[in-house]
Amino acid sequence: MRDVVVHVNGLAKTFRVKQKAAGLRGSVRSLWHTEEKEVTAVSDITFSLEKGEMLAFIGPNGAGKSTTIKMLTGILYPSAGQASVLGYTPWKDRRKLGYHVGSVFGQKPQLWYHLPAEDTFRLFARIYELDMGEFQKRRDFLVESFQIADLLQTPVRKLSLGQRMKCEIAASLLHRPRIIFLDEPTIGLDVVAKQQIRDAIRYLNEQEQTTIFLTSHDAGDIESLCKRVVIINHGRLIYDNSTSALKRQYLRRKIIDVRFAEPLTAPFVLPCVETLKQGTYGVKLEFDGREIPVETVVQQIMAAQSCQDITIADPPLEEIIREIYKK
Amino acid sequence: MKRIQAELIFLRALVGVNLASAMEYRASFISQIVGMFINNGIYFVFWIIFFNQFGTIRGYNVDEIFLLFAIVTLGYGLGFMFAGNTRQYMAYLVAQGRLDYYLVFPRNLLLHVIFSKMIVSTVGDVAFGLIAYSFTGRFTLVEIGLFLTTAVLAAIIFVGYSVITGSLAFYMGNAQYASQQMTNAMLTFALYPNSLFSGAARMMLYTVIPAAFVGSVPVDIVRNQDGRLLLLLVGAAILVWLIALFLFYYGLRRYESGSAINVNI
Repeated sequence: MRDVVVHVNGLAKTFRVKQKAAGLRGSVRSLWHTEEKEVTAVSDITFSLEKGEMLAFIGPNGAGKSTTIKMLTGILYPSAGQASVLGYTPWKDRRKLGYHVGSVFGQKPQLWYHLPAEDTFRLFARIYELDMGEFQKRRDFLVESFQIADLLQTPVRKLSLGQRMKCEIAASLLHRPRIIFLDEPTIGLDVVAKQQIRDAIRYLNEQEQTTIFLTSHDAGDIESLCKRVVIINHGRLIYDNSTSALKRQYLRRKIIDVRFAEPLTAPFVLPCVETLKQGTYGVKLEFDGREIPVETVVQQIMAAQSCQDITIADPPLEEIIREIYKK
Repeated sequence: MKRIQAELIFLRALVGVNLASAMEYRASFISQIVGMFINNGIYFVFWIIFFNQFGTIRGYNVDEIFLLFAIVTLGYGLGFMFAGNTRQYMAYLVAQGRLDYYLVFPRNLLLHVIFSKMIVSTVGDVAFGLIAYSFTGRFTLVEIGLFLTTAVLAAIIFVGYSVITGSLAFYMGNAQYASQQMTNAMLTFALYPNSLFSGAARMMLYTVIPAAFVGSVPVDIVRNQDGRLLLLLVGAAILVWLIALFLFYYGLRRYESGSAINVNI
């Protein structure tokens, strides 16, 4: 039987935004003549999420991602529609839901800035009413998983962004949440810190079947963690399918890197294939798979000149997402 | 009962973390306390000089001014020592959409917001209030009991009123300045004998800016040992909090969050 953790049906949120003409005159006029415009942040979105799933909930800035997360964590009341998270209506059962949900907002830290992370961990134990023996075991497990043992006694303000983020995520997992909302958890991090955080999230998901609801602008996060992608744009859900289907559907273009045994003496040109880059011993080619099959291109390359190596790759996920956003 | 116990354990932990955070900067911690003590002292000295010159002012002599200062500063200090967010930041948190931090936790929202910030300088107010009381010469058990009770009620009213002014941000948007000015006005008017005011101004001190309930009314209760007036003060505290709870939780439905980056606790 399917264990549905999140069910969203026709969820919508509108805000009233004050409008004002530019400049001082506009400001003075707005003192007694206020115009408001209704802005739709989220419009009629419907989707479900099962236990243990890792979902990438993505979209361009202002698409409605954070607003959706805020409705699903009980921060905002919706304008219309229903949502159920672990059987609770978030905005009505905010406190009950809070015991089972973790959240990390990459740009809004939860750790106390002037204190070591250990102090916030202990405060969280009280917030979630954890048994102190259980808390200690859990803390040790997370410290090991995130490799943060030597960071816990340092005031948070002295930690690097990557170190802080690891502590943030560990803190949000202390109460064994059944679902965790991660809003841009790797924003601003270097590649090593990103990878450490991705590994730890994947490990937690495998070990405890924690459902992951991830928003990120980093295609690497999505590719390495999530099997399913939901794309939202202008408040509307425009795509809901597996990450591999997304690639298949949108990856019409292929990129081929070729390394030749002999130096090239003339421009390398093939029909229906674009030459992106040409060096003495290699070329980088791109083509549309609908216009010309991969095997035809490879045959043509091998017929043209003796090859040492050929690599066929999909364009980065980032490009696919950019293409979808443009629509 | 279990619920209340869990809430108290949480609040104790929150206050502990708050105190630890405040003490991270020792020099600032001590200078704020000493600074506030001196600040109150200067005001106090002004009144002593004034009363030496004029004797009494509309029914208040210098002893009653000591008592007024003792109740107001102790009430203010007790109230905002651990409820600093309401005094300084609540309207800001609401207007900037920074209640998000508190809303994701399974705790009583208002208590969490209120007790998440400590105003260190209020330790100076508390110390000053207790020392000022020692000048009043009222040392019977009843008088001391009434003094402490009214100071606690004043603290409750101070915090409740600042929840009201802070909650205005749900309705007005950026209400930080208005909120602070209203609470400042309450403190300032509370430090003057009520009898100085009449008509609309006096009415205001019992309604829009209820300074009378944290200053003159407690003084009357202690000096006249007036139980009926004490009950009235309890009623005023309850009324202030009912209004505060209504404005806060009704306003919360209008809360719009925000995209502001970073909130350091």
